[in-house]
Amino acid sequence: MERHLLARRGRLVTWTTQGFLPKEPYAGGETAETFRPFGVGLVELGGEVRVEGRLTEADPAKLRFDGEVELVVVPFRTDGDTEVVTFAFKPV
Amino acid sequence: MHEVAIIGVGLHRFGRFGAKSAIEMGAEAVRAALADAGAEWKEVQFAFGGSFEVDNPDAVVNLLGRTGIPFMDVYNGCATAATAVELTADAIRMGKYDLGVAVGMDKHPTGAFTSDPVHYGAPAWYGQNGQFLTTKFFAMKINRYMHDHGISSRTLARVAAKNYRNGALNPYAFRRAAIAEDDILSSRMLNYPLTQYMFCSPDEGAAAAVLCRADIARRYTSAPIFLKATALRTRRYGAYEVHSSWAAVEEDAAPTVYASRAAYEAAGVAPKDVDVAQLQDTDAGAEVIHMAENGLCADGEQEKLVAEGATEIGGRLPINTDGGLIANGEPIGASGLRQIHELVRQLRGEAGDRQVPGKPRVGYAQLYGAPGTAGVSILTT
Repeated sequence: MERHLLARRGRLVTWTTQGFLPKEPYAGGETAETFRPFGVGLVELGGEVRVEGRLTEADPAKLRFDGEVELVVVPFRTDGDTEVVTFAFKPV
Repeated sequence: MHEVAIIGVGLHRFGRFGAKSAIEMGAEAVRAALADAGAEWKEVQFAFGGSFEVDNPDAVVNLLGRTGIPFMDVYNGCATAATAVELTADAIRMGKYDLGVAVGMDKHPTGAFTSDPVHYGAPAWYGQNGQFLTTKFFAMKINRYMHDHGISSRTLARVAAKNYRNGALNPYAFRRAAIAEDDILSSRMLNYPLTQYMFCSPDEGAAAAVLCRADIARRYTSAPIFLKATALRTRRYGAYEVHSSWAAVEEDAAPTVYASRAAYEAAGVAPKDVDVAQLQDTDAGAEVIHMAENGLCADGEQEKLVAEGATEIGGRLPINTDGGLIANGEPIGASGLRQIHELVRQLRGEAGDRQVPGKPRVGYAQLYGAPGTAGVSILTT
């Protein structure tokens, strides 16, 4: 095994929105009341591999097939005073 | 190899049944299948039982009679029942036994399926991050498919509406009320472009079939149905599949495509010969995609076929005549045997209000599910 750095930008192959609160093992910490839909996409990075990740955009009108997206780090939930972050792709 | 016949089918209604156990439902389905075959439990030489929630489906013997027969339990995702059918058929094909039972049963909690992603070969973070959802995968797949092949959301609504309508004709279905296309389109968006009424739900139920060597089938029935082919396949490297955190750049066809080709070849029939089909409609989009993956139409042709009613009971390619998963729900272990039950009823001309006209001769059943497994069965008169 060796580490291999993938491109930070890629092409949005397909996407959807997560419109309901996932059951465990989801660890986002929201309740049915506080949950807000999030986007999920399959992103092709540098023609090497496709990876799945959250999208910063959940509005279908603003998501484009084959559009360019970039990796960002976003807040996920708060554990006491600790902010937990996750990765997501942001339309460029 | 011996040919295999299906001489009896039995169903415990799908739905919600309070405290009644999956094992009790399974035993009822077996009794119904035996009564249909005119056979007795003591004649059964072996059985395969499928379930997701029940570790030991073989506990049905406590209710059917402890005859000491070998009873093998199987679980293979949404293809569990197709697997039970294939293994039962194989044991007869190879001459080990003459007559056996395949049974499936389940009793799921409400809401979308969940589990530990690690058990599916996915990393733990995949679940924690909110990506370990079958509904999300099916939405991602149909969303791109619609973009590439010109399928509209209206077509998804038409497919769901057809399955609810067929369910209304089926006394064993879970959901027995028709739902208008516009109500399907305006129901809650669960995973774009799929709304709540476009999805099936996990529920409860059981189904069973009695299989035997074809050359002894006429001892039991004057109208045996022949199980011409069964095929199971898993995902290949390039396929984008459910519960996968990544996919290869070079795309390969889904496992259904390979299972389908193998089954057609073994059965010696072509897609154009299929008179009635039961396809995995986890959601309306899955039925659309599976029409093409099973060779029943070209990619994109669904838009026109569905609009002109080709997949209705009276159409030229009737699909999910009993309401499919959308109207019956999905008790995973039983789902594929429900499909077999419906095909046998259709091929015998016993399907009542939902009977496909014109004496259908070739029936086709397909299952697909996590983590990328497909099963196809082909039946003929």
